[in-house]
Amino acid sequence: MFRVDPLANPEPLIRRVYAYVAYRIGDGPDAEDITSETFERALRYKKSYDSRKGEPVAWLIGIARRCIEGRPANLEISSEHYETADRGELEDDALRRIVLSGAVGRLEERDRELIGLRYGADLTARQIAELHGAKTNAIEVALHRALGRLRAQMEGDEESSPAVRKSQAGR
Amino acid sequence: MRSWRRKRESAGLEAELRANRPEPSPELLYKLEARVREDGRRLRAGSFRIAFAGALAAGVLGALASVGGLGYAATGAGQAVEKATRVVHKHGVTTLHKSAARAQYSKPKAKCPKGKKRVRGKCKKVKKARGVNFRRPPFTG
Repeated sequence: MFRVDPLANPEPLIRRVYAYVAYRIGDGPDAEDITSETFERALRYKKSYDSRKGEPVAWLIGIARRCIEGRPANLEISSEHYETADRGELEDDALRRIVLSGAVGRLEERDRELIGLRYGADLTARQIAELHGAKTNAIEVALHRALGRLRAQMEGDEESSPAVRKSQAGR
Repeated sequence: MRSWRRKRESAGLEAELRANRPEPSPELLYKLEARVREDGRRLRAGSFRIAFAGALAAGVLGALASVGGLGYAATGAGQAVEKATRVVHKHGVTTLHKSAARAQYSKPKAKCPKGKKRVRGKCKKVKKARGVNFRRPPFTG
């Protein structure tokens, strides 16, 4: 039987997996390591991919999730992994990105997971539901709540940072 | 009004999350892409070799079949098997039970006693025919 190669077009897959991992554990070398490990495992178990069960990205995200869960205990996530910088020296967009990254880093594990899957890996609510074994509606509600918490975090950050307030006023 | 505002804010946040998605470093992207492509090439080369060998075998068989080579090969194989069987198989001493020689030199059967004759393998008394007296014709000179 003819087999579909799940890694036929690797570039967008690498970007999506990395974005998911970075939303989960923070941008940087750890996220790069997890992404590399994910692709190594994917290459090793490429034959086990079944196109009837889902898209290649969903399969890769499943592997990435297991890699994150199986990482050493000393690789605990902290907000240090998320972008931080001296806010006074940065441009508005960069500053906004840092605020966003920091706010995501302070969210709970489950919220980070959902945001990573939806906005990092670009999975649909239905695909996330399949991955979690939950109903699509439940995932949509959970995502909505996670976004609400993220917004609250960001508003808290903006209030505490005069530089961001200034950039917001300029928009 | 409030819900519309919230929706707009939510859409803005979603767009922001997508736009500011963490990106892998170009080095990681290049390395992983090269690794994946190399693996794909290796697999393709392997399957190409297998496919080539299969196609070659099929071609040879097709060419042979077109000139009756398959029948020739089958006969040859059959004969080889027969020969091998002959060589390997152990023959005992063949004894012919019915032959001219055996009939000639077989053990002589016992003679029937006087006055008896062998009829269907058994000695039986021969009865003289009665009422028939054979006389020599008279001498006439």
